[in-house]
Amino acid sequence: MRIILLFIIAMGLIWVGVLESGASSVNDFKHHASGKTLDKQSSIRRFLSVGFVGDLVVKKIISDGRRTIILKGNENFLAPGEVSTDHVDN
Amino acid sequence: MQAGDVLNLKEGAGFMCKLLRVGSASTVWKMLLMFLFSGVTFGATGLGAMLLMILLSSTHLGKDASAKHGISVSESSRLGGLAIAIVVIIYIAGLSAISPYTPGLMRNDDFLYLWGAVFFCCSLGFAEDIKPDFLTPTLRLMAKFAVFGALFWLAPTFIPKSLGISVIDFLLSVPFLGWALVTVFAVGFINALNMADGANGLVPGIALASFAVFFAEYGRPMDGALLFACSIFFFFNVISGWYFLGDTGSYGLGAVLLGYGLLGVVDGHFSAGFMAALFCYPCTDFLVSITRRWRAGRSPFSADNGHLHNRLHQFIKVRVKSGVMANSLTGLVVSGSTSGVVLCAYLADVLPSDSELWYLLFAVQVLLYLTTLRYLTSIQPKTQYADPA
Repeated sequence: MRIILLFIIAMGLIWVGVLESGASSVNDFKHHASGKTLDKQSSIRRFLSVGFVGDLVVKKIISDGRRTIILKGNENFLAPGEVSTDHVDN
Repeated sequence: MQAGDVLNLKEGAGFMCKLLRVGSASTVWKMLLMFLFSGVTFGATGLGAMLLMILLSSTHLGKDASAKHGISVSESSRLGGLAIAIVVIIYIAGLSAISPYTPGLMRNDDFLYLWGAVFFCCSLGFAEDIKPDFLTPTLRLMAKFAVFGALFWLAPTFIPKSLGISVIDFLLSVPFLGWALVTVFAVGFINALNMADGANGLVPGIALASFAVFFAEYGRPMDGALLFACSIFFFFNVISGWYFLGDTGSYGLGAVLLGYGLLGVVDGHFSAGFMAALFCYPCTDFLVSITRRWRAGRSPFSADNGHLHNRLHQFIKVRVKSGVMANSLTGLVVSGSTSGVVLCAYLADVLPSDSELWYLLFAVQVLLYLTTLRYLTSIQPKTQYADPA
């Protein structure tokens, strides 16, 4: 029972970093066109979730992911203030 | 630090003792140190990964008796490779599921074949970790030849065209010969890494430095996940000495490093000299060891205590009180002075990573290896290191 509890705690803690990395990646991509960077609160949260070295790793993964997707041409960034036609149609 | 702080730490250590059911205070202090390092470097995720590794290391599965593994003096687990694999899979699966903006594992068919080969190597090692001598050495060797032969046959892009050495470049340019040479090299490399895994922090240190280089160059999520998992394992392995990579880890990490290294040379981001310098210790030690055994009329793959890390450990252990510290210091000195130096030189941008001048650093490392081995052999009693008959 104790082992199962500790195992769940371990998985939960690992997932904290996974969620933070994934959320940071999505946020970065959404805000990229407007030139916004992640605010300080978000950075502190990320630091607590993924630590000092992990923060650098996540930043690099995000920037690499953005570059790869731009190169593949799968995604177009919206210009600041621009509204996508899909959104208007809906 | 005030008396109250010390009391709190002791209380915390006592709580950890009860929670993890460990009796010795030194064990708890080691755990606290491991959690501290993993927490500072990788935050909550690091703490979770460390806890997971502690739990896996405490299972009865894959336990090694004292002194059975390399220069170890304590009972340890061989499931380190499994722990690294679990952490990496959780991280990558989660990240890919949450963020559609994270490039996945399968960037192209070549990566699909590479991960297939890595999975096969991990499975081969896992069978050996769970049930030692489950497969005969010959069968294991044949299995490795089969998997790497298939990998390079299906994905010939892994075969480098130019290593900067004209004779080898000519041989590699002949299609079938190139495939055969790279397959032999791949199997040799995996065995070299497995053979070098004899001190705390040695192969984990080499893997850590290598993934740091690959991640700094490419920024792939998989490299980041491997860097994270190897870092946590490195802290665990060096501080406690309870946990080894095992065959799962050495075969699996060996296959990943081999694939990344070959692709790095093929796409021109790294020179062959850079890779030679980065993986100098396992490759040089492997060649020197099989030559030594062959000269002694023994099987090239039979185990002995003539590796540089064995001799260095003998040298260090009479000067350091703690057995674990002597073991870890040995691994850190070897990995730090080879792959660690290359990582520092790469990060400091001393040379472009595609420069052929890295061969010079490789030559210096080999010279240093041979000189140190010769010196340690000359000052240590010969009978102590005589190869078993």
